[in-house]
Order: sequence, then structure tokens, then C-alpha cells
Amino acid sequence: MKRILSLILTFVLLLSFTACSGNFAQVDLKEPIALADDGIVERDVFEKIKNENAIATFTGESSEMEYEWTIFGSDLKDTKDVNLSITLEKTEKGIKIKFSETEDFGFPALLSVHLNEKWKVDSATAFDDGSAVYSVSITGSKTSILNISVNKIVAECEVLPDDTKQTESTPSTETTAPDNDDKDSSETNKTDSYLSDVKDSDNRVYSDGQNKGKDKYETDPVPEGKPLPVEPEDQEFDKKKTYTCTFSIECSTILNNLKELDPDKRELVPSNGVILAPTKVTFYEGESVFDVLQRVCKEKGIHMESSWTPIYNSAYIEGIHNLYEFDCGELSGWMYRVNGWYPNYGCSRYQLVDGEVVEWRYTCDLGNDVGREGTW
Amino acid sequence: MMRDSFSEYHPFNNFLYFVLVIGFSLALSHPLAQGVALVCAMTYIISIDGKKSVLFLLKYCLPMVLLTAFINPAFNHEGTTILMYFSNGNPLTLESILYGFSAGTMLVTLLLWFASFNRVMTSDKFIYLFGKVIPALSLVLSMSLRFVPKFKSQMATVTEAQRSIGRDVSSGSLWSRTKTAILIFSIMITWALENAIETADSMKSRGYGLKGRTAFSIYRFDERDKYTFVWLAFCGLFLLSGSLLSAFGFKYFPNVRYAALDMTTIPFYCVYFALCITPVVLNLKEERKWKTLVSKM
Repeated sequence: MKRILSLILTFVLLLSFTACSGNFAQVDLKEPIALADDGIVERDVFEKIKNENAIATFTGESSEMEYEWTIFGSDLKDTKDVNLSITLEKTEKGIKIKFSETEDFGFPALLSVHLNEKWKVDSATAFDDGSAVYSVSITGSKTSILNISVNKIVAECEVLPDDTKQTESTPSTETTAPDNDDKDSSETNKTDSYLSDVKDSDNRVYSDGQNKGKDKYETDPVPEGKPLPVEPEDQEFDKKKTYTCTFSIECSTILNNLKELDPDKRELVPSNGVILAPTKVTFYEGESVFDVLQRVCKEKGIHMESSWTPIYNSAYIEGIHNLYEFDCGELSGWMYRVNGWYPNYGCSRYQLVDGEVVEWRYTCDLGNDVGREGTW
Repeated sequence: MMRDSFSEYHPFNNFLYFVLVIGFSLALSHPLAQGVALVCAMTYIISIDGKKSVLFLLKYCLPMVLLTAFINPAFNHEGTTILMYFSNGNPLTLESILYGFSAGTMLVTLLLWFASFNRVMTSDKFIYLFGKVIPALSLVLSMSLRFVPKFKSQMATVTEAQRSIGRDVSSGSLWSRTKTAILIFSIMITWALENAIETADSMKSRGYGLKGRTAFSIYRFDERDKYTFVWLAFCGLFLLSGSLLSAFGFKYFPNVRYAALDMTTIPFYCVYFALCITPVVLNLKEERKWKTLVSKM
């Protein structure tokens, strides 16, 4: 009788094996898919991405430059055959992109072009006959990666780097005509206009660049013209005075490094990489970046975990939106940037003043891919 | 309490059973699988240990589960379901509480498996299995496993003896009590070291671990052991393939996700239950056989 029993059980074993192996289909969406020569991706593949709610990447190459498309299953509605191949061409100042597809895709897709050179800017714009069509964000460490969120298709466009803002935001060039500032930047670029206003009113101490050597919390000298850290225990809140600043949280570098990402965290990544779009937030005088981040996350219901680090006398942000440090490779984690500069000290020691622009960005390469200058 | 006839099976089967259940208790994080393992481990230890283990369960295991469920969220803040915030601003998440429960359950399950492991795998069985392959290590292992109960009983003896010559740990001033306790502890350390050396010397002088040395053992791999082995091996392979096919898949972070319970996954849970409950079933069968024999007489 026992022999019969074991026979039956072996049969059950075989049965369940065949049942389970039926679930695996031919295309593996976890790995990047190389585009065919004609660049056409069939409708079935998109259906599969949609049904599995997967994040798929398609890679191709043109003029020795690699490009990849990142497509989120959650963005797909109607599917059809789409030609994803593009032609890249280097121009004098930028790069020219020609799309093979003529119709709109019907879904948003992220195009990342891996350049062979480094563009020292944060953003670029794609122009079609002089009118801007796409705004391009730039990531990448040694060489730049252009990230374009493609909604509409144009026949061809030229990507040109935006004017460098970094020189403007340093106080050394602050003396440039204030009239000019009011006209241009206040409309398009709020980042710059307030800087001159702030200088006179606040009582913040700026670095004169004379200090050499580390301070007692292991911080290297603060570059000239940048605010010096204010220790959390010295910060005095004045709840009567409220100011506003702009806060944003984004993780678009993950979209260029999906292979590295912890598979469990894939569903957390927003398709445009934005966790919190630039938002005006109110804060009290004397509050630090950390105080404001904590409050913003609480108000917006965004998950955030921090831990106090005594040797740096600051809080350390371990994870936001459940995306933690080391989730996307061993060089990944959260960094903050105020007015285009990544402070070299913790966010509890950066006391905010009115009108500053704070960006929290996820890096996959110790900040090199999100425009951090300098070496560690 | 019943007679543990499973421990009379061949040591290899005993050992294989514990390797499988302890391994799967560690590897499978699905709450249903954990529940199955916990229930079976409890049933087995109660069936061979009786009332004493029920008390142990209530007194130590239940608080341990609750404690881990409370402690884990204090250090782990991952998870998408935010319930409230701690005073330092970190969130309390549902996932971290659930994970705490799961970790506590696993801890208790393992504790119970090891408790029954200690009852079933006596040191002679252990030495029988591994004495040839890894003589030194298996001796050390069996000696250290035996150490705690032996130490406890020797301590009781020494305390009694000291009391009879007037050194009582339970009465007198704090200073004299501490002095006596330290003295007893020192005696115990000396005894333990001496005992270990003596055991090692004694084993060495008997030629333990030498080539060609035979050891008397009463174990025989008979028919019922063959069947049991086939059954255990089948369960092991079946469950291994099941966990490779992620039939027991369960993720706590960043949000709770799990393999659905359907016709493809339920068989794995049934087999897991069958594997864990095997010794209890064997004991019951033996008991019934014994009773029928008695009534015929």
C-alpha cells in the first residue's frame, strides 16, 4: 500500500511541476530587451508588459551612442506595434534625434540617450524648428545621459544644453546687473532672483573659503560663498516668522539603473521619477532642511526614515518613499541640493532662508550622476 | 504524553527529519507555512514532553512572539502602510509589525524544533551518525549539547554539599551569600574544565577516531526505515521544488505581497503539513497497534 501511495505522490509532484512551468513565457521583461534591426516592437510584447505591470527596457544603438526606452506597464492603455528605433546624430552644440515612428505611441515613454561625453549642465531642451518640444534632464557620472519623457512624436528634434546655471548661482557672479535679473530670471528661473534679496536680510554666515581642515563633525571646508553649517542645538525657531521654500523629491536616476534595483522595489518607482513635484512649502525661521523634509513628508503621506548620526551631528536620510540607500546598487542613496549646490554637511545643519530651492535626489553613483561637483 | 516511537527509528531518519523541518522553518516566510510548522512543532513537543512543555509555551514562547512584534517596529520603519509616527519622526508601519510577528513565530518554532531535537537526537545517535565522518567535531558537539543539563545537575549537588558544611546561598548577609555563590561558581568552573579534559582523555585512550576502530551500535536500517526515508526524501524534494517555484513566496517589504493560494500552491502546504506531522502520526499509529495487541492478550 505504501508503494502505491508513493507512486501517487510522485505523480502529484510531476503534475505540479508541469502546472508551474506553464506560467513562464518566452520574453523575460526583467532583462533589457535589445531592439531588432527595424526597431519594431510588436503589440503582444506591450500587452505582456501591461498585463504583468512590468517595467521594460528596450536598448538600441545609433552613431556609437546607446539609447534605451523605459516603458511602465501601468502607463499602457491601448497597445499597437511601435517602431522604437531612433537615429542619433551629433551636431555642433548638441545632438539630433530622428524618430522612426511617425505616429504618437499612445503612451508616455522615457528615452535615455547615453552620450559619449560629459555635459556640465543639469537640464537641456529639445527644439523642433526653434520651438521647445521636450525638456531633458541630465544624469550620468562620467558621461551624460539625456532623459527625455516622450509623449508626442515629432519627426526630428535637436537637444541643446540649457545655459549653465551653476555659475550664476554662486555669489561670485551675483554682482551682475540686478535689472537683468528681474526681467529674465524672475519669470523663468526663480532660483536666481531671490538670492540677491536674501543676502541682505538674513543673518546667515557664509564661508569665506579661508578655513582649512575639517571641523569637529568631520566636515571638509565649506566652499567660499556657501552657507556655513548651523548646529541643530544652536538653531532657534521663531514661529512668528514664516517663509516659503520650494521642495521636490525625485529618483529619476533609478530609471537609468533598473537592472541594479532591488526587484521588490520596482513597483515603487514612479514612471517619471518624480515623488514630489516642486512644491512651495512654508517653514518657520530657523528650521533646517531636515525639519522641513520631515514635515513635508508627514503632510503628503510620503514614507521617510531617518536616523540620527552623532559623529556628523545630523540626521541621515535612509529612505524616502520606501526607496532606501543601497536599493539601487551599493553607491546609491539620497542626497539634497539647495540652489544647485550639494552641501557637504548633513541636512539637519543646513538652516533654510526664505525662497531657497531644495531638491532631494536619489543617486546611484555617490552623487556623480545627479550633478554633484568635486570628489569625495 | 505518549511513547515516542519516532525516536526508535534509525538515527539517520531522525536527523533527516530535523534537518528538513528546521531548514524549511528558516527558509519559508509565508505565514501559512509558519503556522503549519508552529502547530506541528507544538503538537510534537507536547506529545513527547507533556504538561511541562505547555507551561514553557505559555511562559516563554508567547511573550517572545509578542516582544519581537513590538520591538521590530521600533527599529524597522520600512513599509508602505503608515499607521502613526514615533516621536523622532520615523513612521510606524503595518508591515514592520507583521514582520515582527513572523520573526517571533519563526524563533519560537525553531526553539520548539530544537527542544524536540534534543529529546530525539541523543548524543549516542549523533556520535553514531558522525563519529566516523567528523570524529572530533561530533564529540565536541555532543559534549557541548550535553554540557548544560550536566552542569545544572552538578551545580545542584555542589550547592547541597556546601550547604551541609554551613555555606548556604539562601541565608546570611548579602556579603556572605555573594562569597558563597562565587565559591560555588569557581568550583563549577574547575569541575567543568576537568570534566572536559577527562572525557577527552578517556575517549582518546579508548582509541576514539582512530582508523579501523569499530563502535557497537544497536541501530538497524530496516523496512519501516526505508519507507520513512523515501517519504522524507520525497517531501524534501517536493518542498524544495515548491520553494524554488516560489509557491511559498511572501514579501513583507515594501508592501505585503504573496503567492495566491490556488490549486498549484495548496498541494505544497499539504505536503509541508504532512512532513511536519510525520512523527506524531507514527507515534499515534504505534500507540494504536500497542493497544490492539494488549486487548488481544
